Amino acid sequence: MASALPSGDMGAAEANSGNGGQMQKKPFTFNEIVLRNRLTALVVDGDNFCRLLEQGILQAYGLETQSVNNGDAAVELIASGAKFDLILIDMLLPILDGVEATRRIRAMGMRCKMLGVTACSGERERQAFLAAGVDVFVEKPLGPEILIPVLRELDGQV
Amino acid sequence: MDRNRLQHQVACMRRSLFDQGYLDEPFIQLEELQDDANPNFVQEIVTLFYTDSARLIQNIEHALNSRPIDFDKLDDYMHQFKGSSSSIGAKKVTNECTVFREYCSAENAEGCIRSFQQVKQEYAILRRKLEVYLQMVRQAAVSRTA
Repeated sequence: MASALPSGDMGAAEANSGNGGQMQKKPFTFNEIVLRNRLTALVVDGDNFCRLLEQGILQAYGLETQSVNNGDAAVELIASGAKFDLILIDMLLPILDGVEATRRIRAMGMRCKMLGVTACSGERERQAFLAAGVDVFVEKPLGPEILIPVLRELDGQV
Repeated sequence: MDRNRLQHQVACMRRSLFDQGYLDEPFIQLEELQDDANPNFVQEIVTLFYTDSARLIQNIEHALNSRPIDFDKLDDYMHQFKGSSSSIGAKKVTNECTVFREYCSAENAEGCIRSFQQVKQEYAILRRKLEVYLQMVRQAAVSRTA
């Protein structure tokens, strides 16, 4: 993916030379995974910015996405028959929170991969979200180290 | 300004934003989303972050000035701000949001007020630096196509 900005490579190299080489991680690119199958995702986040960003990231990986801004809308969408391979759901949501929305989505028989992507970081929140039915609890931001293995699994590349 | 000098300055500024802890890896992910089909993606997402942040800061200020303070509402707002800040890679802002939420959880009004000043300060510093950086990036892009 071409970029008009200084490349991640240059940034990493520059950072290495600037701080004694502490940033040793491989520069990230969206080409690290190429999907063979059509995958769909639902993003559930009450914050416009986070919703847009997460959709953008998933689309960059090649997924088709939809988004809603509250838990009730997510449950309604699933109840209407919509199917997704992946759901990203925040914990604190308007109208119906992410924990209860997850519980209801699972209760409707939806077995897709669900990632609880939230700014909450406590162990109690983590346990509650996992108990409700998310497969992975992710403290924002959602990074490639979490997402790429999930996408590989969904795409049958594992 | 000479094109190479400008690009060097852009790279140096970018490096310092990361080295000084203002930005973190998620910002790199944003940069990777920018391409010929979305040439202004980073500027657009950063502008959206400013708008979102302004709204949340106003909400938090209003909530802090209310009596009695609704700490649940305060925490909700700061949760959102922490989420968007961390998603853009605004490391120092995110850290200050975490401190605020700890005071909020303890229902410590004075602590919330003090830490909110820090949140606003870090946000203002980041915004200033990002505005300068992205302006230089735009200038460098123009000089490349000239």
